[in-house]
Amino acid sequence: MNEYRCLFCRGPRDVPLRFRTLLAPVHPPGLCRLCLEKMAPIDRKACCLVCGRDLRQLKLEFIRHNICNDCMRWKKSGRGRLFGRNRSIFSYNKMMKEMMTAFKFRGDALLAEAFRKDFRDAYRQMIGIDPKGLWNRMRRGRWLFPNERYVVVPIPLTRERFIKRGFNQSAVLAELLGEPIIEALSRAGSQKKQSKKNRRERLLPGRNPFALNPRAASAIAGRRVLLIDDIYTTGATLRLACDTLEAAGPDRVDALTLAHG
Amino acid sequence: MLLSGKNGIQSAFDEELQHFLYGKECLLDELPFSRELIKKHVRLGMITLRLGVETIEKGIVPIQIGSKKWVCRRCGNTDPGEFGTVSCSQCRKRCVYCRHCLNMGVVRSCSRLATWSGPEPIREERPWRDAKRICTWEGTLSDQQKMAADRLDQSLSSGQSFLIWAVCGSGKTEIVFPAVEHALRRGERVVLATPRTDVVRELYPRFQNAFPKVPVSALHAGSENQVPDAPLVISTAHQLIRFSHYFDRVFIDEVDAFPYHFDPMLEYAVRKAAKEGAPFAFLTATPPPNLKNAYLSGRLNGVKIARRFHGHPLPEPKAWWIGNWKKSMKQGIVPQSFMKWVKQKSSHQVQLFIFVSSVSLLRELTELLQREGLGHVAGVHAEDPDRHAKVAFFREGKIRILVTTTILERGVTVPGAEAAVFGADDPIFNESALVQIAGRVGRSERRPNGEVILFHNGRTLEMVRAQRHIKQMNEEGGL
Repeated sequence: MNEYRCLFCRGPRDVPLRFRTLLAPVHPPGLCRLCLEKMAPIDRKACCLVCGRDLRQLKLEFIRHNICNDCMRWKKSGRGRLFGRNRSIFSYNKMMKEMMTAFKFRGDALLAEAFRKDFRDAYRQMIGIDPKGLWNRMRRGRWLFPNERYVVVPIPLTRERFIKRGFNQSAVLAELLGEPIIEALSRAGSQKKQSKKNRRERLLPGRNPFALNPRAASAIAGRRVLLIDDIYTTGATLRLACDTLEAAGPDRVDALTLAHG
Repeated sequence: MLLSGKNGIQSAFDEELQHFLYGKECLLDELPFSRELIKKHVRLGMITLRLGVETIEKGIVPIQIGSKKWVCRRCGNTDPGEFGTVSCSQCRKRCVYCRHCLNMGVVRSCSRLATWSGPEPIREERPWRDAKRICTWEGTLSDQQKMAADRLDQSLSSGQSFLIWAVCGSGKTEIVFPAVEHALRRGERVVLATPRTDVVRELYPRFQNAFPKVPVSALHAGSENQVPDAPLVISTAHQLIRFSHYFDRVFIDEVDAFPYHFDPMLEYAVRKAAKEGAPFAFLTATPPPNLKNAYLSGRLNGVKIARRFHGHPLPEPKAWWIGNWKKSMKQGIVPQSFMKWVKQKSSHQVQLFIFVSSVSLLRELTELLQREGLGHVAGVHAEDPDRHAKVAFFREGKIRILVTTTILERGVTVPGAEAAVFGADDPIFNESALVQIAGRVGRSERRPNGEVILFHNGRTLEMVRAQRHIKQMNEEGGL
């Protein structure tokens, strides 16, 4: 793997020279500075507590107590009751759109490697084993017991699309975490693509395309589940998946997505 | 009995499939035919399948340490950084895929590439073949051009490759016409491959005018002039990847152009598109070292044309020092002597090409020139959405000064235009690029002279070589 070239634009990539990189035999592949500058990472201090949206891009009248208007409406609708929170790493801007096209539709699965570090960091932060979480726990005097680990469940594709695309992008992202993956869900039928629907169509409470894999039910019961998906748009997909998982009795369901938009 | 057997086979295959696949190499999943039909043809031996990505094992050490090297059979990519692995839905294993040719559909190590190995399709009637003259180009070739054209045709007809080493503006395109005509008359398939979309767009109408009765197909990204089964194809090298063992004669224009010898995929594509043993004709003003050596040592047939068609010498580039242009651009100042030259030229109503090394520099310089009150200044680069429109405006004279990156260094002919290179000491301007840029000037018979100025901050070896190259060519041309 040529780590000196950008994964996306193939341009030269300046790996900053530090002691760690100087002595490392290989560097992890990644993006160049120019590509990184075009991305819009979401600050986790300024995001919606439920859906992880970047609140700085939202007008003030849509925010209440650090929760965006959409999430309020979800709460009132009563769907996805177990759904705790979603964390996204980037906002879905033009660059992210191009990335997603290359990653999902053109099939360049290697691009996921560019987000390995960010994805893992976000996960560590969610389960509280990042340095800051450790410090917080130490202050509270219970630094031995971090949060319980998640059961990682990628959002599946329908069978036809899986065959056609050749891989499941959510599973590829889930693999980055290095945790055991449980394929607890399956997706049925020939549905219109989520990405081809408009907001109204997405939010309509239609038939739930997800089904629970009965063999995985025991692994979920009483545990915290982390759903992995590529994009959080309206939250409909994740909440439908969450409703399906409810039958297996998880403790709560959170989500980690690459982009929010 | 032999006859009936033959007929049996003839009726056994699907003609539509044959027409679709003949001379091409496609992924099995891309074929718009049913699985059963394809399977049947594979069993009959009409379709050959091969793996999309294969491992190549070289030497003992890589095997010992377990590092593998792959090769993509579609684009010929062997760069280990350009392969990725993914858990594949079809083979349920970790699967290698080629990242280099992704935009034509992903090639995985479990996918198969299909080529047609059955009989050649019977081609439709081609009434133009019987015409007395296929080529209706009215112009006349100079003695030198005529000699080159004859030798080119002879060499290609006997199946040998040929190099035409001709200075810019010596009428390379016209030299090709007799050889193309001969090939067409023999019912061969001819391709003219060039490295750039702009060149395809420029050559297409010229060939269409010269061969009015022959269906000509122009292939480049987003082209609209595609004719299926056309005997004459003008294409960018990228578009040839889909072809396999299809063309009888290959003309490669501007062999040395930037993407061509920087990206080995394009050479692979052109080689694959040609039939086995098909002769190549290389056309260039600045041959790359391997061709130059082959020609000079006599391994490759060829001819050198050192004179432009109008008999005037190539303009020799002059080098002007403008100090630290990077610094002054940063401060938003255009160097004095450069500005003076541009103003003087524009007051004489001369159209100008200004070549720069990067897109960011292009934007800055265009803006500064516009701010100086010089009208009709435009900048054009490869990703510019209005690129083709701007070039067309420049040809018509609506744009007087065109600031451009090296994309326009070849193939674009604007009579009476003069050229400057801003920041000629940048490593992107090598000998061949500078020679090509000098070749943009003095293209027409009416205005055969013009200035080429290299504005620099320190003369580079490449600049000196380019000047020497042009001087030598002019001397050889007896000027």
